[in-house]
Amino acid sequence: MQSPTKKTFPVLIFWIIVGWVGFLILPWYGIEDFWTFEWLVDGFPFDSDYAPGIFLITQGEKLWLAPLLLPLIGALFAYRVGKEDARYANTLILAGAFGFAWLIAQGFGIGLRGWSYGWLEAIFGTLDDRQFGMGYGAMLVSACFLFLLTQGIAARGAVNGDVFVVSSIGFVVAVVGVFVFFPIARMLIAAFITEEGSYSVSVFFSKFLSPRLWGLGCLSGGRCGAAWNSLVLAVLVGFLTTALGLVFALVVTRSGFRHKKLLRALTVLPIITPPFVIGLALILLFGLSGSVTVFVSDLFGVQPTRWVYGMPGVLIAQLLAFTPIAFLVLIGVVEGVSPSMEEAAQTLRASKWQVFKTVSLPLMRPGLANAFLLGFIESMADFGNPLVLGGNFDVLSTEIFFAIVGAQYDQGRAAVLAIVLLAFTLSAFYAQRFWLGKKSYTTVSGKGDSGIHPHMPNGLAIPVFISAGVWALFTIVVYVMIVYGSFVELWGVNNTLTFKHYVTAFSVRMDEEGLRWTGSAWNSFWTTVQIAAIAAPLTAGVGLITAYLLTRQSFIGKNAFEFGTMLSFAIPGTVIGVSYILAFNVPPIELTGTGVILIVSFIFRNMPVGVRAGIASMSQLDKSLDESSLTLGANSAQTFRNVILPLLRPAILAALVYSFVRAMTAISAVIFLVSAEYDMATSYIIGRVENNDYGLAIAYSTTLIFVMLLAIAILQLAVGKTNIGRRMSPPKQ
Amino acid sequence: MKNTFTVVSAGLFAALMAAPAMAADKLTYYCSAQEDWCQLMANGFQDATGIKVNMTRKSSGETFAQIKAEASNPKGDIWWGGTGDPHLQAAEEGLTEAYVSPMRKELQDWSISQASSAGDKTIGIYSGALGYGYNEDLLTKNNLPVPACWKDLLKAEYKGHVQMANPNSSGTAYTTLATIVQLFGEEEGFEFMKGLHKNINQYTKSGSAPIKAAARGENTIGIVFMHDAVKQAAAGFPIKVVAPCEGTGYEIGSMSIVKGSRNLESAKKFYDWALSKEAQALALEVNAFQVPSNTMAPTSEKAPDLASIKLIDYDFSKYGSSDERKRLLKKWDDEVSTLPQ
Amino acid sequence: MTLATSSKAASVTFRNVKKVYGRDVLAVDDISLHIEPGQLVTLLGPSGCGKTTTLRMIAGLEMATEGQILIGDTDVTKLPATDRDVSMVFQSYALFPHMNVRENVSYGLKFSGFDKSETRERALAGLDLVGLNGYGDRLPSELSGGQQQRVAVARALVLEPQVLLFDEPLSNLDAKLRRQVREEIRDIQQNLGLTVVYVTHDQEEALAVSDRIVVMRNAQIAQEGSPRDLYELPNDAFVADFIGEANLVPCTVDSVDKDVATISIGSYSHKLPARGMAPGAATLAVRPSRVELQAGASEDTMDAKIVKATYVGSHMEYTVETEFGTLFAVSGNVSSVFDTGASVAMRFEESGPVLLPKS
Repeated sequence: MQSPTKKTFPVLIFWIIVGWVGFLILPWYGIEDFWTFEWLVDGFPFDSDYAPGIFLITQGEKLWLAPLLLPLIGALFAYRVGKEDARYANTLILAGAFGFAWLIAQGFGIGLRGWSYGWLEAIFGTLDDRQFGMGYGAMLVSACFLFLLTQGIAARGAVNGDVFVVSSIGFVVAVVGVFVFFPIARMLIAAFITEEGSYSVSVFFSKFLSPRLWGLGCLSGGRCGAAWNSLVLAVLVGFLTTALGLVFALVVTRSGFRHKKLLRALTVLPIITPPFVIGLALILLFGLSGSVTVFVSDLFGVQPTRWVYGMPGVLIAQLLAFTPIAFLVLIGVVEGVSPSMEEAAQTLRASKWQVFKTVSLPLMRPGLANAFLLGFIESMADFGNPLVLGGNFDVLSTEIFFAIVGAQYDQGRAAVLAIVLLAFTLSAFYAQRFWLGKKSYTTVSGKGDSGIHPHMPNGLAIPVFISAGVWALFTIVVYVMIVYGSFVELWGVNNTLTFKHYVTAFSVRMDEEGLRWTGSAWNSFWTTVQIAAIAAPLTAGVGLITAYLLTRQSFIGKNAFEFGTMLSFAIPGTVIGVSYILAFNVPPIELTGTGVILIVSFIFRNMPVGVRAGIASMSQLDKSLDESSLTLGANSAQTFRNVILPLLRPAILAALVYSFVRAMTAISAVIFLVSAEYDMATSYIIGRVENNDYGLAIAYSTTLIFVMLLAIAILQLAVGKTNIGRRMSPPKQ
Repeated sequence: MKNTFTVVSAGLFAALMAAPAMAADKLTYYCSAQEDWCQLMANGFQDATGIKVNMTRKSSGETFAQIKAEASNPKGDIWWGGTGDPHLQAAEEGLTEAYVSPMRKELQDWSISQASSAGDKTIGIYSGALGYGYNEDLLTKNNLPVPACWKDLLKAEYKGHVQMANPNSSGTAYTTLATIVQLFGEEEGFEFMKGLHKNINQYTKSGSAPIKAAARGENTIGIVFMHDAVKQAAAGFPIKVVAPCEGTGYEIGSMSIVKGSRNLESAKKFYDWALSKEAQALALEVNAFQVPSNTMAPTSEKAPDLASIKLIDYDFSKYGSSDERKRLLKKWDDEVSTLPQ
Repeated sequence: MTLATSSKAASVTFRNVKKVYGRDVLAVDDISLHIEPGQLVTLLGPSGCGKTTTLRMIAGLEMATEGQILIGDTDVTKLPATDRDVSMVFQSYALFPHMNVRENVSYGLKFSGFDKSETRERALAGLDLVGLNGYGDRLPSELSGGQQQRVAVARALVLEPQVLLFDEPLSNLDAKLRRQVREEIRDIQQNLGLTVVYVTHDQEEALAVSDRIVVMRNAQIAQEGSPRDLYELPNDAFVADFIGEANLVPCTVDSVDKDVATISIGSYSHKLPARGMAPGAATLAVRPSRVELQAGASEDTMDAKIVKATYVGSHMEYTVETEFGTLFAVSGNVSSVFDTGASVAMRFEESGPVLLPKS
């Protein structure tokens, strides 16, 4: 019934065709405005700007592309000999590896000005030719080589000879390599480049040991280095968001509190709030002339101060912004602690308080550690809040930004700061692993658990309710201020209500040409929605495939693979932005100024969350489900599609929502990558904030918040619920 | 065969392509002035020439960084606006293209001298004097005297009331530093900066932030370009503008063509158009109170009158050079910024 | 339509198969095995003996580190699960919770090139066979454990695989249901003539359903044979004790005459098949049911004392102390029982006790 050859060959044929199409038909080099297809009538296929690889070679140009024919022919040979033949696997591996390596070598070796490296010129003499960035032709050919290689490796029996799995691994490794490691490497190398352009270790150390980074002046009335500031702030934010997140999780799961839905909604708000907005609202409330400040100073006759500028303001803003993340992590864990364990402890004569302290809390350890880690990393990478509220409190993320855009323009310094930042986040990552150790905290078994969670002990409930209440009230006030702020003429000076800001941003006009989007924000708005809508499903897709590989497959180098896919999460957006500019402005991959670079940066920045969500829900799915699907004759691709994906709907939804929202609200990487044609909402908002035009900035942000709420609702409907007739165990982290 | 194909395809599609090819002229425009002004310039040029404009607005530092990063494969065509130093630096690093515009005869001297100091790689489009502004309400509320000179700002009662940008990150603040050094001499100038440091409540990252904070009542005195202060006053904030009695420096907002521009012809068209009096008159529509470089362009009566301000003879080529800049910034970093406040 | 007697049932052959996890965890050590087509063979053994790994290697869910696996005449050693014509019923059933019963049963058919109507017919026939007609639209979670189990069986059956695998399929059912379902499985297997490999650690289940049993221990095969062989002629103490309980009694083979050995345990002596043993020390295995207790001593008895007596309904369980140690005995006589502390006479039944060739 099933012959092995029947299943393998369509895949091979497909990729061989893709490769030949890329080489014979599509333009080899990148073309601006590809999708207008003007190039079709503009000298294609002979014009060397638009010619496919084969036409270039036959016309005697770009002869270094000729060796690529060999692996393409090799693939045909493999097809002929068939899978039974030992030469099949070897030919494919050889063809794929050689083709891919050659493609990379020629791409990096020959650039805009001939040879890219002096030593190449020294060996081969001057090259009187040059090449631009790769285009769709080259893209298809490289994809073909990659998948020839993976099919060859699979045919050799790797990962049970599973073509889908090997190809997925190859694909993820390749894209993560190109879009995470390559740009980061480019950026970090910059830390060792002197002003003259040569490499030196001492230049790194001179920048690394700078007192502006490590100074301890604040202990004696001066200013501390950015590294200490960042570290202290991040630790505080990590602890406090974890504590607050736990408080909320306890209120929701362990109390008789009625309005849990409301509380949940409240905690989602900050996640969908564009950056700066919370900071602006805090200034409007607590600044020198803020409403609260003025009220308090009038009431008590105290001199208003600028206390909100600096560490206190940044801390408050980050707590408001990141507590929901801790809450979302902890709610799953707090719910996941098996009630019967708590009940068992109660029957063993532990009081409520002792149960909480000795059973519930220790079992929540992984969640607490995760929440802390997320708070820590988010705080380290946060850019918007320190920018608005930092005052003289310098942190690494803003320092990196100003090292590059400031008048100093010091890429090397930015790179050094980035290394310090990365070292902090990675140390936190390892500290977390170390703390959790190898103990098992799994309490969700396949068996039904009929127990119910006990309520909190009173001694805990009172402080918990008070802090949750205060925080909730505070959040509400902040958001009321935001909405109110978008409707007043000029905050603090002229408080007349007006729709002016919304009209400026979002007016439309009907005229003879139909509907005209005349508002100043429409352009960036549509770009943002479009890019977020494209990035979200891709992010979720790459994330879930990676999660599938990590939970369901074992292969050599899996740990390194996991580390690589999670790495971009620990790298602040500023660094990503700069490194993308450095890496993708020149051949072989030219992406700057396109929408693609924005999409790509979103995919790889947000992918780790998709991976995490996927891993969390996939580890809830019994592995025998996949296995039974496999023994029933479905291959792993079909299993992934028919069994795993449908059961992962909650994770898919989470990944989609997260990446959509992140794409709409991200700023730090975006600010470097926006271009004239592709301007994003957040970068537009920054412009308004810079211009003291708070009204418009807040009005735009308020609109974005509602758009995101709408989008989340639509996604929820689109993805739908998987009916499995029983309560799914909550995802654990 | 190749030629036959080319001829045939050319013949076939010549008619089809002619119209869109004409319209396909475009310009990628990096703008470092305020958003509404940038937008107005883009639309104005598009209306005047029919060339499609793609605009990106970023601060002059960011734009400089971007042009530098893109140097080996430029994406932008023209860079308009922002203080002159990054333009000069870009010229010095060979990131911009020399061009002599036919419009030069209509321009102010300072505009031309900016061009000649950079080998014609940049040109002045507007100018503004440095000064400071204060929030009237806060001044009264705190019973502070009205300042009139640079040295007034050193008075102890202003402690915690003065804001300026960090010269490391802001061109405005660097202009302030260079002005003080030229006005008082380097040694006394640095003594002044140290004195000022005691009164500073925050070194902001962006140049105009101090006056914006003052406008919103978050700060009392902000050291900025006077036209920025005027703009806040015009927007309805209680801001008063001060031209310091000792005299002051100024900036020359500049324009440069990006080297390796893909639409060089369009860039030159924009360059010429931006120097015309019609284009420069647009500034008034968006409350930009800089002094235009075209002698025939109208000015606002709200704008600070450069003629009545004591301007120093600002040495752009010396203080705009990256070596001098680095030296002064390092000195400021080491001697001033580390002092306790 | 109904499912026809399988013409595809194939043999399974292991040739020196070895499975190593990681660097040095030996799960299966050099196993050679042949399973005839149409037979139900049980892999039996304590947890961790390698029986499940062996099963999963047949399925293709694990790949053999060394050796060769054949299904029928085809070498499948390197073939992934998808490409093997094998179905498996999992311990957890592994029903897809998001599909209803019919979709679950049709799942494999979908990938085997059947058209829609045929898929439907086969699925219905499969459900019919396991007595779940009319349950097609339910979700697995709406079924009882036994019903879920039958769905899992139906899902595997409808593919008419060359080999059908069961991984402890009854362990989640209660005792009564377990007996019923195992009989159903056996019936279906025999009616359809399927090759079935069945993993369990329950010896009673193994004895009840199997044509042959493979007892495994420490990654190796301890003994292979028909249920009766294993029960009555265990090779060693492990098998004797694992399949039904056994009292292991050290004894001396006094003489061997034409394959009949005379053994002595202290003063007690007994004749039984020699199984190739030479005179000397040996081990005797005696099933508890083959230990007879009576009130008065006779010529061929020895003295013993009841240490513990337990009434379990259908029979009595006694712990008996003898001159050579403690024995465990069961007796069907529940009407007149011995009390704890009573002195009794004891002997072994004529047939039943066996000498263990290896110990």
